[in-house]
Amino acid sequence: MSADRAVLAAMVREEWRLHSRLFGGRRFAAFPVFVALVGGLTAWALGTTGAETGTVVAGAHVLVALFGLQTGTVGLVGRDAMRGLLGDTTLVVFSAHTLPLRQRRLLGLFLLKDVGYYAVLLLLPLTVALAPLLPLAELALLWLTLVWTFGLGLCATVAAVSLATRGRPGKVVAALVACALGAAALAGLPIAAATPYALFVAPGLTSAVAAAVPPLCLLAVAALAYDPEHEPPARTAENAYRAWRRRVPAWDDPVFVKTMLDVSRSAGGYWKVLLSAGILVAMSAFLVSLAEAVVGLRVLPGVAFGSILGLTAFTTYNWLTQFDDGTAYATLPVETAAVFDAKRRAFAVLGLPTGVACYAVAALWRGAAPLDAIAGLALCIGLQAYLFGLTVALAGTQPNEFLFDTVLFAGFTLGVALPLVPVLVVGFVAAPLSAPLAAALVVAGVGLAGVGHVLYGRAVPRWRERYRE
Amino acid sequence: MPTTDGRRVAARPLAVAVTRGYLAAAGDAGDVNAIATADLRKSYGDLTALAGLTLDVPAGELFGLLGPNGAGKSTTIRILTGQLRPDAGTASVLGIDPVTDPIGVRERVGILPEQESPPSFMTPREYFDFVGSVRDLNAATVDERVETWADRLAYGAKLDTMNTDLSRGQQQKVMITAAFLHDPDLVFIDEPLANLDPIVQETVKRFLREYRDAGNTVFFSTHDIDVAADLCDRVGIVHEGELVTTRRPAALDGDRLLDVFLREVGADANVAVGESAGADVNASTDTDASTDADANADAGTER
Repeated sequence: MSADRAVLAAMVREEWRLHSRLFGGRRFAAFPVFVALVGGLTAWALGTTGAETGTVVAGAHVLVALFGLQTGTVGLVGRDAMRGLLGDTTLVVFSAHTLPLRQRRLLGLFLLKDVGYYAVLLLLPLTVALAPLLPLAELALLWLTLVWTFGLGLCATVAAVSLATRGRPGKVVAALVACALGAAALAGLPIAAATPYALFVAPGLTSAVAAAVPPLCLLAVAALAYDPEHEPPARTAENAYRAWRRRVPAWDDPVFVKTMLDVSRSAGGYWKVLLSAGILVAMSAFLVSLAEAVVGLRVLPGVAFGSILGLTAFTTYNWLTQFDDGTAYATLPVETAAVFDAKRRAFAVLGLPTGVACYAVAALWRGAAPLDAIAGLALCIGLQAYLFGLTVALAGTQPNEFLFDTVLFAGFTLGVALPLVPVLVVGFVAAPLSAPLAAALVVAGVGLAGVGHVLYGRAVPRWRERYRE
Repeated sequence: MPTTDGRRVAARPLAVAVTRGYLAAAGDAGDVNAIATADLRKSYGDLTALAGLTLDVPAGELFGLLGPNGAGKSTTIRILTGQLRPDAGTASVLGIDPVTDPIGVRERVGILPEQESPPSFMTPREYFDFVGSVRDLNAATVDERVETWADRLAYGAKLDTMNTDLSRGQQQKVMITAAFLHDPDLVFIDEPLANLDPIVQETVKRFLREYRDAGNTVFFSTHDIDVAADLCDRVGIVHEGELVTTRRPAALDGDRLLDVFLREVGADANVAVGESAGADVNASTDTDASTDADANADAGTER
C-alpha cells in the first residue's frame, strides 16, 4: 500500500511538472481560471441565444467524455507518442521495466491519478463556469457526474488500448463494439441511460448503478485483455523518399518530403488530417443547425462553413509539426527558414485542399447559393492562410506546446476571434447575401491571406534567432 | 575477430576514402588549425556553461574533449557547429565563423550528437537519402557509401526497417553513417561509442584512426577516459566551462589520464584511490605540481 501511495504521489507530481513545463511555469496556475472564464462565457453566450440549460449540461458531458477518451491515449500509447508530443520523456507509468511493480497495477494507479488530477484542475472550474445556470444544490452532483463521465472516457480508451495489445483479434473486437454502440445510438436505443449524464438528470440508486456498470465492464475488459509483454512487430518499408522526390522534383525540398512521410506513416496516416477537418465540419453543422433551429436565424451556409473550416489550418499544422521542430535539423546544413518553407509547402499540399474539400462537401450538402459559395470559399482559403501565419508567428514549429500555454493560447484565441467573429456574424444575419457584401467578403478573404503571409514572413527570422539562443 | 557468439569472422580492411580539401587549400597542414576558439562564453540563465574557453585543434588531429557532466562539452560542440550563438568570444571552424555562417560550417563538417535518434518514421535508407539530398550528394554516391557503412557496422539487414523500431545501438550506427556520409574534412562526435557492442566499438575506433591518418580532423567529446586515452592524439580537459589542461596520452610517461583528470576537475583523492592503483595515485596527488611540470615539459601541456 505504501508503494502504491508513493507511486501515486510521484505520478501526480509528474503530471503537475509536465504541465508546468508545457504551460510555461507559473502561467499554469492560471489554467483553471482560464477554463472557468471561457466555460462561463460560452455558457452565457449559449444562454443568451436561447439554448436550454439541459442542452448545455448535456454538451458539457459529451465534451468531457471526449476529453477522457483523448487523455487516456496520450499516456498509454507509448513512449514514441510521448516523445513526439513532449520530447524525450519517460513517465512513471512505464517504470515496470525497471522497478518491481506490475504493469497492471501501474495502469490502475495511472487512471486513478488522471481522474483525481483532472477532477480538480479541469472539471471543478468547468462546474464553476456552469454555476449561473444551475441551482447551487445541483453543482456537487454535476461535478460528480462530470468526473464520472471523464472516467468513463478514460476507461474506454484503456480498454481499447488493452485489446489492441492482443493484435488483430483484439482490434477487431474493439471495432465491433464501437460499431455496435454507434448502431444502437442510430437505432434510437437509450444508451445515454447507462451513462453518468442520466444520473445527473434523474438522481437515484438505479441510475447510479446503471452509470457504474459501463466503466466497471471496461475496466474488467482492460484487466483481462492487457498483455504487458506485447511488442508491436518491427515495420519495414520500401524507399518512399526517392519516389516522393521524383513526384515533386521541381521543389527539391528534402524537409517537405520528410514531413509528408512523417504524416503518412504515423498512426492514422493522412486520414487523421481529414478526420480533424471532419470534426470541424460536424461542429459547424451543429452550430449552424443550432442557430437555425434555436435562434431562428437564416444562415448563409457558405460563409458560415467557410469561416469555421478555416480553423482546419491549426489542426493540420499540428500534424505537420508533430514529429520534428525547428531545432531537429540543427546538425545538418538546413536553414530554419527552409524548415518553415517546407512546412508551408506541406500545408499547401495537404492542409488547403483538405479544408477546401470539406468546405465543398458542406456547401453542397447545405445548398449554398453561388454568391454565398464563392464568398465562403474565399474565406475558407483566406482564413486558413491567416491562421497558418498566426500559428507560426505565435508558436513556431511547436503548436502542441503552445496549446498548453495559457497566455499564448489566449493570444491565439483573440487572433482567431478578431476576423472569425465578424464574418460569422455576417454569415448568421446577412441572408440573402448581396453582391457587394459577397465581394467585400472575398476581399476580406484575400486580405486575411495577405496578413497571414506578412505574419509568416516576420516570424521566420525571429524563430531562427530564438532557436540559436 | 571473435563475435559475441564465439564465431570468427575475417577482419575487413577499412577503406577510408577521404578528401583533404581544406588542408590542400590551406597549404602546409602542420600550420593550420581546423578549430580555433578564443574566450568563448555561454550562459543559460544563471547557469554558466562556458566561462572563457580557448582552444586550438590542428588539422589532422584526433582531439578528445574530456570532462564531467555539465562541464560544457556539448555546449562547445553546439557553438562550434553553429547550433548555438555564444554570449562572447570567437570561433573558427575550417576557417569559417560558425556564428555568422552556421550553414557554411555544417556543410563542411559531420556532426554526431550524443542524444539524437534518426527520424522515427523513416527507414535508415530513406534517412540517408534525405541527408544526401540536404548535402547535395547524388543517389549513386549515397548508395555506395551506405553500402560500405552498413557492411562496416553490420546493419545491412536493417536498412529498410523503420528507425523507431531499431534498437538504440542500431540507431547509433545510423547516426554514425549519417555523420560521415558526405566524407567531411572534420567531424564533431559526442560519445560515438555509446550503445555499441565491443566489436563495433573497435571497428569505429579503427575507422577513426584511419580517418585521422588520411588527414582529417576529429573533435571527440566523451566521459570515457579509457577510450580517450586509447584513441586521441591529444585530450583537453574541460571543467566548469574552462579548458583546464591539454595532454597527449601517448606522452604521459607513467602518469595516467585518469589521475590527471581527477586532479584537474578537483575530484576527491579517495575516488582516485578506489579507481586506481592506490600508492601511485597518492604519490601523484602529493606531487601534483611536479607531475604537472613534467607533463608540461614532456607533452607540451597548456594551462
